[in-house]
Amino acid sequence: MVQAAPQFADPSLKGKLVWSATLHASLAAAILVSALINRTGDRWEGSSGDSISVGMVGSIPAIPLPKPVAVTPSRVVDETKGLYKDEPTPKVVPPVTAQPIPVFKDKKPPKIVPSRPSKVLEDTAPPPTNAVPYGGGGAPTLPYSAPGKTIVGSTQGDMSFPGSGGGEFGSKYSWYVDAVRNRIGSNWLQSMVDPSVRFAPRAVITFQILRDGTIANIQILQSSGNKSVDDSARRAIMSSSPVSKLPGDYSAPLVNVQFWFDFKR
Amino acid sequence: MRRKIIPIGIVGRLAILLLMPVSAFAQKPDWFTTGTGMGVQKARIAVADFAPASPAAQPLGKEFSDVVRNDLDFSGIIDMVSQSMYPTQVPSQPSELNAQAWSDPPASTQAVAFGNLSASGNALTIQAWLYDVHNTAAPPMIAKIYRGDVTDAQVRLFAHQFADEIVMKMSGGVPGIATTQIAFASSRTGNKEIWVMDYDGANQHQLTSLRSIALTPRWSPDNSRIAFTCWAPGVRNVVSAQICMYSLITGKLISFPRWSGTNSSPSWSPDGSKIMFMSSMQGNPELYIADSNGAHPKRLTFSVGVNTSPAWNPKTGLQVAFVSDRSGNGHPQLYTMNADGTGAERIELQDAGYVIDPAWSPNGQLLAFSWQRPDGNYDIYAMDIVNHQLVQLTRDTGRNERPCWAPDGRHIVFESTRTGSRQIWSMLADGTQARPLTTQGSNESPSWSAPRQ
Repeated sequence: MVQAAPQFADPSLKGKLVWSATLHASLAAAILVSALINRTGDRWEGSSGDSISVGMVGSIPAIPLPKPVAVTPSRVVDETKGLYKDEPTPKVVPPVTAQPIPVFKDKKPPKIVPSRPSKVLEDTAPPPTNAVPYGGGGAPTLPYSAPGKTIVGSTQGDMSFPGSGGGEFGSKYSWYVDAVRNRIGSNWLQSMVDPSVRFAPRAVITFQILRDGTIANIQILQSSGNKSVDDSARRAIMSSSPVSKLPGDYSAPLVNVQFWFDFKR
Repeated sequence: MRRKIIPIGIVGRLAILLLMPVSAFAQKPDWFTTGTGMGVQKARIAVADFAPASPAAQPLGKEFSDVVRNDLDFSGIIDMVSQSMYPTQVPSQPSELNAQAWSDPPASTQAVAFGNLSASGNALTIQAWLYDVHNTAAPPMIAKIYRGDVTDAQVRLFAHQFADEIVMKMSGGVPGIATTQIAFASSRTGNKEIWVMDYDGANQHQLTSLRSIALTPRWSPDNSRIAFTCWAPGVRNVVSAQICMYSLITGKLISFPRWSGTNSSPSWSPDGSKIMFMSSMQGNPELYIADSNGAHPKRLTFSVGVNTSPAWNPKTGLQVAFVSDRSGNGHPQLYTMNADGTGAERIELQDAGYVIDPAWSPNGQLLAFSWQRPDGNYDIYAMDIVNHQLVQLTRDTGRNERPCWAPDGRHIVFESTRTGSRQIWSMLADGTQARPLTTQGSNESPSWSAPRQ
């Protein structure tokens, strides 16, 4: 050690030592600064790619349970009023004395120029052979309904499905219709639809339920115009198969179903 | 003699052949129209008191009605009509049913279940009906006769079966869970053993008596076996955690290979042919896959850190969720990977903390897990695996861990310390209607069986 000491004093090494010291100092400073900027350091997998992030929501529609009933406060009865505090005494409003309407100085009524009578343009063409007489129109008597309601019962209009008769199934086995609707509804998930879609027109899909509950012959009767909504509806039907068996006393081998989907986010 | 019979058979067959087309075309297929706007409505159902045929059958009739009501109430899809709104006249036969009284307010029910129960000697007969009260002309939705022994357990089983029948009818074909069972680990005898109970907590009985430690039971998909973690002598008689297998058919343990190191948390593939488990047989705790008899173990994960608690997506069988601390910050996190061990990716939650016990819903859409956030206790969360939306199911009620889904996807069983001791609880999958199933000793790691055939 004693013999080595003169070597450090060697002037040829002095510059290199200074450089080394400066470099070390700057390295230490860089490490300190980077540690201050990012204390945790990079994650094991890196910041991109192999991980998926998650967002918190109030409820997930994928849980096949009915939504809880929202209890809204009654607008008619306010039960909180007067429980422990007296009602505030109403302020005394001074009575307003009535003011007479000022009379116009010249009592002549304004002059009104009568307009010319309009000309009635008669349609002289003869009525078409299939014209609906006045008062004979009205709402179509087809099984349209408000959203969220099941339509049951036979149609009043002159409408029938090819290869089918009646339409009594819905009224006779309304519980079965409800069950199928709930099953398919619980399998129709918002997450299956493109997130950019907020609303879609009604999609109508027809299918058949066989005796053992198997769903067959799924066909889109009326597209919603959006493929992802159509696909999600079709998938909801497919994942519901098999539904419950057809009622035991229903003798036909299958039942035809027309099912509509109203998508709204 | 035989020759005389044959022509009759031919005539019979000919008659059937002649009648066949007539009956096949007797009724054309009907049709109906319905639709949905995203959402499900609850069906409103009343269960009348089942009329006892004799005074001796009175308690059994009450028990039957109560169990059916309890099952339907907990089904999550049925809105039970309050008993105070029932009509005073209780039907015991379809001829006595006054449908108007049930369909009108205040009962305003859609369907009513009723029937009668007779116990003569040792023969129990229960007649049960479910009628749509808005449409009495239609035949009953359910008409059943149950016959069995006059025991409490038998009455309960019939009530569960009747409730399952109603739930299946009202939910459009999803089997009810009233006849399913829950396996769990209990220390009420002094050692942690595997126990089994009905889904409502009744009929608790002990399966194993190994006098060591038994944990994490898992039903096989066909309900024939339970795989669990047991402390047993392994390689060179060193006692360590091993995979054990219990057969519910023979009522005994069946042989399963033992490996060195710690082996735990078995998980069945959806077809029941494979088992995935954690093992440190090669040093580091990694996930291994083996046949259901333990043959051909194969390592799936290769990483630094611990990998454990595999859960197989029951719908696809292609995806596995598991727990790993490979990220290196000392916190176990959830990962998913393909069932062959490829494509592992982390599920990144907004807070750090311990994320453990993944459990798939039966439809493969949701992943439930327990998560200890930095500011709180362990709570159960459920995540939609498609859009990664997260919902908290328990809060502010002790530690809630180890969720497991019921086969209908509407219920979750879990362990909770909210009463002061560790007990098994079940709830609806949206976090409501939590109810305790066990009270004695300390009970943990529940597993819900598959539907009973």
